[in-house]
Amino acid sequence: MPDSGYPWPIETTRLDNGLRVVVSEDRTAPAVAVNLWYDVGSRHEPAGQTGFAHLFEHLMFEGSANVAKTEHMKFIQGAGGSLNATTNPDRTNYFEMVPAEHLELALWLEADRMGGLVPALTQETLDNQREVVKNERRQRYENVPYGDSWLRLLPLLYPPGHPYHHATIGSMADLNVADLATFQAFHTTYYAPNNAVLTVVGDAEPPEVFALADKYFGAISARDDIPSAPDGRTVPATGRPAVETVTADVPAPRVYVAHRTHPYGTPGYDVTTVLATVLGTGRGSRLYQRLADGERIAQPDLVGAYGVDLAHGPAPLIATATARPGVTAERLRTGLTDVVDELATVPVTAAELDRAKALLSTQWWRHMSTVDGRADVLGRYATQFGDPAKIGERLPAWLAVTAEQIAEQAAELLGAADRATLTYLPEETS
Amino acid sequence: MTLIAARPGPGAARPYRFPQVVRRTVAGGQVVAAHLPGQNLAVALLLLDAGAGREPVGRDGVGGVLAKALEEGTAQRDATAYALAIEALGTELVTGLDWDSFQVSVQVPVERLSAAVELLAEAVRTPRLDPADVRRVRDDEATALRMDWANPGPRADAALRADLFGADNRWGRPMYGDPETVAGLDVDDVTVFHSEWFIRPGTLIVAGDLERTDLDALAATAFAGAGGGPVERGGPIEVPLHERRRIILVDRPGSVQSTLRLGHPSPHRAHPDHVPMTLAGTVLGGAFTSRLNHLIREVRGYTYGIRGDFASSRRFGRFAVSSGVQNAVTAPALVEAVGEITRTQVTGVTEDELAVARSWRAGQLSVELQSPRSIAGALTTLVVHDLPDDYHARLRESLLAADVDQVAAAAATHLHPESLTLVVEGDAAVVRDELVATGLGEVVDHQH
Repeated sequence: MPDSGYPWPIETTRLDNGLRVVVSEDRTAPAVAVNLWYDVGSRHEPAGQTGFAHLFEHLMFEGSANVAKTEHMKFIQGAGGSLNATTNPDRTNYFEMVPAEHLELALWLEADRMGGLVPALTQETLDNQREVVKNERRQRYENVPYGDSWLRLLPLLYPPGHPYHHATIGSMADLNVADLATFQAFHTTYYAPNNAVLTVVGDAEPPEVFALADKYFGAISARDDIPSAPDGRTVPATGRPAVETVTADVPAPRVYVAHRTHPYGTPGYDVTTVLATVLGTGRGSRLYQRLADGERIAQPDLVGAYGVDLAHGPAPLIATATARPGVTAERLRTGLTDVVDELATVPVTAAELDRAKALLSTQWWRHMSTVDGRADVLGRYATQFGDPAKIGERLPAWLAVTAEQIAEQAAELLGAADRATLTYLPEETS
Repeated sequence: MTLIAARPGPGAARPYRFPQVVRRTVAGGQVVAAHLPGQNLAVALLLLDAGAGREPVGRDGVGGVLAKALEEGTAQRDATAYALAIEALGTELVTGLDWDSFQVSVQVPVERLSAAVELLAEAVRTPRLDPADVRRVRDDEATALRMDWANPGPRADAALRADLFGADNRWGRPMYGDPETVAGLDVDDVTVFHSEWFIRPGTLIVAGDLERTDLDALAATAFAGAGGGPVERGGPIEVPLHERRRIILVDRPGSVQSTLRLGHPSPHRAHPDHVPMTLAGTVLGGAFTSRLNHLIREVRGYTYGIRGDFASSRRFGRFAVSSGVQNAVTAPALVEAVGEITRTQVTGVTEDELAVARSWRAGQLSVELQSPRSIAGALTTLVVHDLPDDYHARLRESLLAADVDQVAAAAATHLHPESLTLVVEGDAAVVRDELVATGLGEVVDHQH
């Protein structure tokens, strides 16, 4: 087993305007991944402006000072590249993967929308993308069974005012009142070079990338008063479980059990990651063995547990199961919580621990097997932990987690008083 | 601040080379491998001629049930012991099927590949298939399909497929079966399908660092105990086009969006127009910059996304467009989508559009083919469609060489806007009158 989870070179620099540039050269394939992490996400949104960071992400594809509407996509795809962007509570990222000879094009496009978005932003574009995002909300959250579970779990886990209280997609009401001036100000406030990390991975040399970064991004001004999001590191315990039951048009009862753990990147969250794998990844996991195979009360394809890798507050651990026909929600909920409770009382065996670590190792190397996968994690580590080289520590840290640490964390954080339980009931059985 | 106004041109091109392909015959089976020097992860995939096209009509979904039943214990160990053994290697058994093939694979650090292939072969060749387990897996699969069919999409897909290809044919029914056909399978259906199709050697695909891999030993493991030769796969199927357009309305009361599936039959995979057809499909609906997405999403704001493409298997193909649009704009979205398909059929594509489409498709070959998993997928394409080792290099050249006239001709020949079936899955009470008023075609209520 390697000592590091990142056996590739990493070189970094910082431009005078504060833009951090990370380069990891790998000439295996003639492709480069370009990835920008902006340290702004839905955790920065004040009440009444939920969904704005994500809607803003859409506006970044609609043209900038030297790039006409529709040209951004056209230029990247016309170069043979692929591109996308994502927004989550913590951050917004934009990424392209292009044949290596088009690196400069990708940097030019990213620089133009970092430094020149506001003059190109129009009411027409905002209105159009507002409708697109509302359709995204309908398609992903409203028109599918259990589609709103994440929207319901967050307020059960995080109190009003906490940066993770609301979901990134936002509310229809807030999206409807979004006005142009707010978005112009959003760009001016957060899309500054000193609030971003540019990562390039693949078939490119660091000195060349540093020079190109300076050429295209160097003239963009820094901003010295970027407001921070509310502090979400501590969530006061209420001493009471949070419980919600929803009757909806769903095909079977489903239960989610969620807990607040530790922020991503901390030793505590490394324990959570291994714990979640022991609990809920694969047919050898405790949840599968107990609920799908043993008691046979849960549907085999729909039982599992996972951590949500958020870094600016105690990240959620979620376990879920869906009832087999004839099984009540009550029985399923009891079964699910029993298995979670036993993490504190029934020690994790060496075989369970080895299984989890083997699965996590493969998952890690799979993520590292592409240049775009690597670029995203380097951007994350530079943005959230100040040093992309810390990426090499994650896998060894997972592999060092012990059964005792899992039992301790389960006893400390996974108790009934700290539990959020969300249950869906089909309409006909209500 | 001064941004640089001029768009930079490309640097010197660095051509993509598909990894070296190794083909061997070992122990009665075929091995096709790609060498990925230095890669720590490796993928091994057993490719069997046991796709959905091999399932008897009315036994739709038997392959999916068998896939799950493989992990319910083997001749050597029970289900729990099997799960713990394979997951201790850091992998899970990944199964998949399409019309042409059944695939089962493992992905592990290269030093564990041999142990993982042993477990793969154990499940595929010697599953226990205890009747009680098979019945339970069947019931779970029927429930899983019922859950899936509660989402928008699967019912619309099934309605479109049945209308295009005829529900009397296996290829006119859902690839994974539907909740009723799967619930109606019995134990013999599963065991017979196994003995008929899962004992033949098939092809072992390997993507990884071959200097750290003993291909002959892997193949000997994968093909041990296998027997039986290849079976005739059947030629292309002639699928007639409809004489006129029709709308099929699939009721989903309370839906806040209408799910759209538009389509008609198109040529099989080996058709000589494959490349120009792919490019015509790309301009029309295959990329974010395509005509459909530009108009329906970026100009109108009717949807989060709309896609269209030609897809083909060995024996048949179909052109299809899919989207989800808000209820109130169902009719105009449908009218405009049919309008773009018609415009493309009648007037072809522009050089500007084609330039983007061909560079994108060619560039994706170098950009996407990086991981062992994606390389294994590319090798699978070579095997299923009898393509040569230099297929990807040749494909790149033919994509880049396709001109406007060829692509326009493919659009004119292979798009049939007058024969489209337009499936709308949504709140029928809300959208029916407007659909009738479009005059796009007769509105038929889907019976199910």
